[in-house]
Amino acid sequence: MVKPSVDVFVKADGESPIEGAPFSERKLKFKKLFRRIPKAAAFIIILLLICAIFSPWIAPHDPIEQNLADALKPPFWQKGGMTKYLLGTDNLGRDILSRIIYGARVSVIVGFAGVLFSGIFGTFLGVVAGYFGGKIDSVIMRLTDIMLSLPYILIAIAIIGAIGPSLTNIIIVLGITQWVSYTRIIRFEAMSLSKSEFIEMAVISGTRWWRILLVHILPNVLNSAVVLGTLDVGKMIIFEAALSFLGLGVKPPTASWGGMLADGRVYLTFAWWLATFPGIAISITVLGGNLLGDWLRDELDPRHQLKA
Amino acid sequence: MKKGVFIVLTLVMVFWVGICFGQPKGELVVCQGAEVNALDPAKHNSIPDTNFGLHVFDMLYLRDSQGVLRPHLATSHKIINDTTWEFKLRSGVKFHNGAVMTAKDVKFSIDRMIDPQTKAFFAPFYATIGEVKVVDDSTIQIITKGPDPLLLKRLGMDLLILPSDLFKEKGAETFFQHPIGSGPFKFVSWTRNDRMILDANEAYWGGPPKVKRLIIRPVPEVAARLAELQTGNADIITNIPPFLVPQMKDSPNATVQSIPGGRVMFLYINCLVEGPLKDKRVRQALNYAVDRKAIIDNILKGGGVPMAVNLTPLHFGYDPSLKPYPYDPAKAKKLLAEAGHASGLKLVFNTPSGRYILDKEVSQAIAGMFNAVGIQTDMRVHEWGTYTQMLTGKKLTDLGFIGWSLALADADGTFSPYFIPESVFSYFSTPELKEKIMKARAILDEKKRFEIYKEIQREIYEEAPLIYLYQQIDHYGVSKKVKGFQVRGDEWIFLHQVSK
Amino acid sequence: MGAYIIRRILQSLIVILGVIIITFLISRVLGDPVALLLPPEATPEQRAYLTKDLGLDRPLYIQLVVYVSKVLKGDFGQSFRHQEPAMKLLLDRIPASLYLSLIATLISVCIALPLGIISAIKRGTIFDRIGMTLALLGQSIPAFWAGIMLILLFAVQLGWFPPSGYGGPKHVILPAVTLALFFSAATARLTRSSVLDVLDMDYVRYARLKGVPEFVVIIRHVLRNSFITILNIVALQLGLLLGGAVITEFIFSWPGIGRLSLDAIYNRDYPVIQATVVVAASFFVVINLLVDIIYSATDPRVSRK
Repeated sequence: MVKPSVDVFVKADGESPIEGAPFSERKLKFKKLFRRIPKAAAFIIILLLICAIFSPWIAPHDPIEQNLADALKPPFWQKGGMTKYLLGTDNLGRDILSRIIYGARVSVIVGFAGVLFSGIFGTFLGVVAGYFGGKIDSVIMRLTDIMLSLPYILIAIAIIGAIGPSLTNIIIVLGITQWVSYTRIIRFEAMSLSKSEFIEMAVISGTRWWRILLVHILPNVLNSAVVLGTLDVGKMIIFEAALSFLGLGVKPPTASWGGMLADGRVYLTFAWWLATFPGIAISITVLGGNLLGDWLRDELDPRHQLKA
Repeated sequence: MKKGVFIVLTLVMVFWVGICFGQPKGELVVCQGAEVNALDPAKHNSIPDTNFGLHVFDMLYLRDSQGVLRPHLATSHKIINDTTWEFKLRSGVKFHNGAVMTAKDVKFSIDRMIDPQTKAFFAPFYATIGEVKVVDDSTIQIITKGPDPLLLKRLGMDLLILPSDLFKEKGAETFFQHPIGSGPFKFVSWTRNDRMILDANEAYWGGPPKVKRLIIRPVPEVAARLAELQTGNADIITNIPPFLVPQMKDSPNATVQSIPGGRVMFLYINCLVEGPLKDKRVRQALNYAVDRKAIIDNILKGGGVPMAVNLTPLHFGYDPSLKPYPYDPAKAKKLLAEAGHASGLKLVFNTPSGRYILDKEVSQAIAGMFNAVGIQTDMRVHEWGTYTQMLTGKKLTDLGFIGWSLALADADGTFSPYFIPESVFSYFSTPELKEKIMKARAILDEKKRFEIYKEIQREIYEEAPLIYLYQQIDHYGVSKKVKGFQVRGDEWIFLHQVSK
Repeated sequence: MGAYIIRRILQSLIVILGVIIITFLISRVLGDPVALLLPPEATPEQRAYLTKDLGLDRPLYIQLVVYVSKVLKGDFGQSFRHQEPAMKLLLDRIPASLYLSLIATLISVCIALPLGIISAIKRGTIFDRIGMTLALLGQSIPAFWAGIMLILLFAVQLGWFPPSGYGGPKHVILPAVTLALFFSAATARLTRSSVLDVLDMDYVRYARLKGVPEFVVIIRHVLRNSFITILNIVALQLGLLLGGAVITEFIFSWPGIGRLSLDAIYNRDYPVIQATVVVAASFFVVINLLVDIIYSATDPRVSRK
């Protein structure tokens, strides 16, 4: 059995799929169900991208415009709310809806760039560890152990304290702290791939190791990497929220869901809308990412593919 | 026979009721936002530390709730010459272990705090004390290094009187595991980050406290702290954010007590580096550009008072005749244009996050006001540790939001760190300013000192090396069952006379 | 087998040494603690004195050598801010953290295991969909939001539990549930996944074909085989919980390790930072080591190059 990492679930190892066995009705229904999921996931992702790209056109107000006299107005359906501010205003009189729409930009960037950096780094290390094995593998594995043992708060404060708070630096922090989950999984896949016949033949026929890695191994582990990536997008966004909670987040007055969540915490008992709406936005995005990742994994897993 | 029994029973009941009413009863639970650092006064550096010390120990002088320094363990003082003060000590004061307080305990306690080996964090406050002499069991003399008008205030600033014999016998570490003082409460136990339990000292020289037990808990999360008050688990809570005050006022079993505090908020300006901020007109423009009233009304919900300079009415030396900068964006633009910046400026604006009430919000609001007069701001939020290091390392660029606490309640405590160039916190100074501050520090005559501080205030108002903002109003939640509790501007909580 | 164990133990020791050194270096990047310890009135002489006294004026490599040699003897030094040994501060916190983590894990397991198993068995049905969506939501709700909501509902409105503080069952429930939220979600999904894999195995199909009642199939084959995976998941979670309950401890004023380490980081209290990280890391490494050993003992297919 594969040893799973905590936050991602992994299918079994190389038990060969049962070829030629008749597929039960259950599996067919199940397949249809899965065909449906991408629609929800796709909807969420498309909504996210629209908000991020077209924010200046969709948002009713300027997200950083302050209006102190209009501070802490509730959403329009509550007493004291106005339709001018559909979801209410925050403590500086800024429109919550507009800030959520603009906040999608930060989340999209943080989510994807964070996944990209940690994913690339982690996959690279995983492939190297899995293919070469031996001492290199041990070193890399011990490195992951060290990374897992260090609290990310410590690293985040150290790095951001040293180079200053900004979106780029947050992505750097995410990249440095989150690559471990990729490495372990990819390493395992790379290991089993390395044992397969066609890799052995490639070695025998004299292909250089870097060619093998690049052409044979990497494309095959990319599946898993992509799946892990989609599942991780949500995690990146939540980490940005945690960093904002610690005061290390994106610079004000830029709107970010994590920042809004952290800032709105103090107002929860009194002006719940400051933190709840960004929280919902984050939850929906995480849901979308996970649905997409689940679907991708099932699609790419050879055992669940319909035979022609 | 029956009658006899009846009489006895009645008598017992009467006595019992009398005992109950006479005894301290009940327990008070206080929830603060931060935890005590350590029980050893040498490791004290925050208000929760002072609040602990106030109850278990006594000092020579104690500030009352109006901010007036009153004789406590010292009953009177005499100024023998410019640098020699003589103090008469109270007799009949006993430590919790029964030992009698005498002059040698006072000498020991003061010596310990000023000894460099002790590495007391507050030692800088007592740096003017040169030597302590025991004249007799109830008289001591303190020789200061130079004339020191603040000596009494220093003696009332967390200088706790320890029982020297017991301390020497046990050694610091063991002693502070179960500290013994002479204060109105006795130490029972302390679990860090959980709770501290203090029991009434019924033999206290100042009369026994009115409650039997004090429980002090750190509850950093605002929602949880308020919940403790609302559920009746806590009797007194500190630091209610301004926007939650109306909600608490409506609560059935608690009220809110608000008081203008000794904390004054302002913005640093880095006047050391070459640049537009070296021009007085630019700094004044920044002062005119801030709408203090809007910030106080809208963000602080009325929880502030605009201030002219970085002093509050609680500081000695505060001049009420000096009025705060008015909000005048037109004048601000004019001054900027005169200084050659009609097309605008770009400044870096630093702020901590969560260190002061709504610091980040106020900073952003001010940045918005600067934008309105053509000043672009690059806002940088810092975690408090990083922020402090940047400040004391003189690496602050352009502007920084900060609040200054009451400390010794004296203008010297606020002016020295800012306007004396040798101080790590100073980003502005002139030779005249330094001379005046040093002079005022060493005159014993209060009237003369006040005149000098008046001059200093006018000068720093005019020069505008800081962007002055407001005095903070603190809000405390108090259960309706609590009687006799008065909130204080210095953020101390002293519960000797409080009952439930 | 024996050689493998010895090798892994040696590697674990190297990991711990690596953590010790890296924590030292990272702490130093956090900057000068003296600035935070002294009041603004302190003179440069006083700052210099304190710096020297804390040993921070010596060259970095000397500090590192002194530090490592002391740590190997178990001496983490005195906290800069409080006057107690760093290790003692840490050890005082462990009972509270352990208590909270165990209860949270218990709650988590009680919810997640049945949820995951039944979702797997009834895969594709409404139950599965709802169950997994709930799990996803649980994973995406921020801990502090959940914590504060729980306080508002159960402490203030209903008055069933105290809002914060350390104590017995009544005090531990709300923080434990807050922690359990995220972990039961993750555990449920992982459990479902591993049970699904076992369900697809040949021997399970074979048992079904043989006519063994479903119930027996589940208990005897499925559970037994997913047991190790689930145990691994739970053990890892416990390890993470011990070090990672910072936000929950903050909200509920729970005197655990998380609060201590957060305060230490904010106060630049190097000895305490180092002590907490090294101890948490050691714990984590030991759990990992044990799990690896159990795996290699029970599953001969684990590759050992």
